[in-house]
Amino acid sequence: MHISEIILSPLLALIVGVFFLGLSRKIMARIHWRYGPPITQPVIDIIRMFSQKSVSHGNLFNFGIIFSIAGSIAVVLFIPFGRIHPLSNSGGLLVILYIMLLAPLGIALSSGEAANPNSSIGISRKLLLTLGYEFSLLLILLALMTHYRTISITEIVALQQKGSWSLFRLPLVLPGIAYILILPAILGVRPFEISKAPQEISSGPMVEYGGTYLALAKIEHAFAIVIGISLFVNLFLGGANNLAFFFLKVLLVFILGIFINAVFPRLRTEQAIKYLFGIPAFLAFLGLVITVLI
Amino acid sequence: MSLALILIVAFSGAIITYLAGKVSSKLRKTIAVVFSLALIPMIALLFGKNIETPLFEFLGLRLILRINNLAWIFAIAISILSSLSVIFSLIYMKGKEKVDFYYFMMLFINAAMIGIVFSGDLVSFFIFWEMMSWATFLLISYKRGPALAAGIKYIIMSIFGSMAMLIGILFILNTQGTLIISQLAGNINLSLYNTIFIMILFSVAFGVKNAILPFHAWLPPAHSEAPSPFSAILSGILIKMGTYGFILLLYVIVGVQKLLSLPGFTIVINILATVTIIFPTFVALIQEDAKKLLAWSTVAQAGYIILGIAFGTSLSVTGGIFHFINHATFKALLFLAIGAVEYRTNGVRDLNSLGGLIKQMPITFVAALIGACGLIGVPLTNGFVSKWFIYKSLILNKSPFLAFFALFGTWGTILYSFKLIHNIFLGQTPEKFKSIGRAPFSMQLPMIILSLAVIIFGIFPGLPLKAINSIVVSFGLESLNINLWGLASSTGALNTINIFTAISAGILLVWLLSKLGSKAKSVNQDDTYAAGTSVPQDRYHYTVEFYKPLYRVIRPYLKDIVDIFYTLLADWIKKISSKLRKIYNGYVGNYVMYIILFLAILIFVQLKWSLW
Repeated sequence: MHISEIILSPLLALIVGVFFLGLSRKIMARIHWRYGPPITQPVIDIIRMFSQKSVSHGNLFNFGIIFSIAGSIAVVLFIPFGRIHPLSNSGGLLVILYIMLLAPLGIALSSGEAANPNSSIGISRKLLLTLGYEFSLLLILLALMTHYRTISITEIVALQQKGSWSLFRLPLVLPGIAYILILPAILGVRPFEISKAPQEISSGPMVEYGGTYLALAKIEHAFAIVIGISLFVNLFLGGANNLAFFFLKVLLVFILGIFINAVFPRLRTEQAIKYLFGIPAFLAFLGLVITVLI
Repeated sequence: MSLALILIVAFSGAIITYLAGKVSSKLRKTIAVVFSLALIPMIALLFGKNIETPLFEFLGLRLILRINNLAWIFAIAISILSSLSVIFSLIYMKGKEKVDFYYFMMLFINAAMIGIVFSGDLVSFFIFWEMMSWATFLLISYKRGPALAAGIKYIIMSIFGSMAMLIGILFILNTQGTLIISQLAGNINLSLYNTIFIMILFSVAFGVKNAILPFHAWLPPAHSEAPSPFSAILSGILIKMGTYGFILLLYVIVGVQKLLSLPGFTIVINILATVTIIFPTFVALIQEDAKKLLAWSTVAQAGYIILGIAFGTSLSVTGGIFHFINHATFKALLFLAIGAVEYRTNGVRDLNSLGGLIKQMPITFVAALIGACGLIGVPLTNGFVSKWFIYKSLILNKSPFLAFFALFGTWGTILYSFKLIHNIFLGQTPEKFKSIGRAPFSMQLPMIILSLAVIIFGIFPGLPLKAINSIVVSFGLESLNINLWGLASSTGALNTINIFTAISAGILLVWLLSKLGSKAKSVNQDDTYAAGTSVPQDRYHYTVEFYKPLYRVIRPYLKDIVDIFYTLLADWIKKISSKLRKIYNGYVGNYVMYIILFLAILIFVQLKWSLW
């Protein structure tokens, strides 16, 4: 645990996340046969939004969004990026799983203080979606922890470095596939964009944010993307020995996600739940059974 | 400090409060608070002591009082929670009827619970247990009407449990010749089947009190009908007497060695505990009444406690006992917060008719939020640490399926906790609640103390964990490497202080960052964006069917078969009784006729066959 790592790791996550936001707009545009904005557009947006006017609905409205990013920063400190893992000895996967709650919780509370029904609807959908994918995600993580006999994420990465990636280990193949199937839901991209649904509920929880708040929300989104994918890369794609290689893997997974986002329409909430409790849940469950039996 | 003195103070406090109520209400309040507060230092002084004092002989059996670390932890939790609840009651009960009776029962139940944990033999245990059960019945049905029905449901199940326990106690007395717990401890000399027999008998008694499925049916109506400060006690500590009983049974009377040699029993309890986690969690999700939601949540959390205790590793038992303390803090906090809302809104508990109270009752909101975070197990609250202990132990001991249901239950908990917070405190405020005031100070104080406890135990879990570790070691389980900040271990450590530092540094950093932006204009709660039009006030609070898509999926599975069975049983007994009423119809003449007929038959039989 070095001070430099503690500063470096959230900074890296932020830079990579914001870069991804720009990249995703560019790739989406190309798929749509447009030219698209410059890749630095999100940076320009965030700086611009900081100088724009905004309204506040109260103290919880201000604090919730700050708390949300603080939660994301804390998660980043627990997730190994290559060899950088400043706090991963202070708690394992279970802690990560729980700290990942703080970011959505902060946004939910913050947007809840404004009496806008759109944000309530968005939060309700977000929580439902979370319940849906957590069902499979928990089974997957338990299969991993049972297989490697540890709850520490650095241990799991180290064991993969010695042998093969979890995705290619016999009992963990099915959980790996299930993870890939729920990854779009974890990242909240289409077809699982139900909690934001701009055309339907005016971006859900984001509806009341403007100016500084919207900039902060965007930063939070950048963090969320990096966290969601890094966890998958660490757990199933073997992590990495160095930063460059690690973020290359993250990038590849992200581009895959953008492709899915570009071609699918949005599901309705009950369709999303039905999907999440269907094949992915079944595969994850089967995977855990096989892991226990072997 | 002698144990008998504490019990005398506790019981006489109840009686003196009752008598004082006949003089003046001010005197009654003062005495109730003074007596309940006085117990805290008296019990606190006993920390770390191991005393066993004989009291007197009763029916040839020696009654014994004793204290050890286990009893101390329960006793201190009882005394603190009951005094907070009495302080909360001061204004809550103002102007209600039979207030003398209420305070008397409140203090009497607390005294009886202290008696239970101080008992050194099973006879006094049973006596105090019954005192508590009956007093609880009277207080549950305090409001009459549906409360009386809830009370009767409770007392019937409770009697059933007590009878099972009584049989168990008699069985032990007959086979072992003693009922003194310290003499029984570990040297119980029974065959395998007999051991399982008494364990089942006691488990029924403790399972009813602890509301494990299938004995949970009494809890939801009882918790929601009782007065809110008493719901806090009921949920926070009274049902934990069942937990205490389980610990006593599994780890003191039977002992770890013997317990491990009968794995079948613990497996059954573990499975029952996970069912107790999952099913009530999703039932809580569809509740529309704030207290009913919390009541079902209590059933589910009791499942975590029992799972931890019955799983039988030192990690899980530590987690289970710690979760008992934590549940006592955050669930009492939530009940008190709901009680405060109920007080200010004249008894509204319906989650669909409240909303937006954060502006009116900010402190109550923060308290409820902290309570909900503890319930979920958000890091930096105490609920996180205890659940972490239980999960870790389940995962590392190859029970991933138990761990899965426990973890998935937590995600259900997130959904209903957020529904509770959102529907009461966030969103639009109904017009009629726009001008209600904050909760009075005597209601805020207990909530503030409990909130602090939730957070302090979450950041410095080592404080209670060290004491719990000594209990676990006394059971013969291995000692854990406990620090102030959690646990040091090679298979995954926990350091809450680092988490705390990381999050608070993050908050500071982002707060400074947000200061860079232009200053926001403060606007009204209702001044919202609606694409050019305005959201009509007082009408669009999104609460009814908050998780509608999920409800459609889960509702068919949420039939409480057990409760339906009990209701059928009750109906059937009612029918049989009404048939019996035709024979026992209350006319003395008929009874005389029955007697004469019976004698006639006897005489006829004797004359005909001369049997005698």
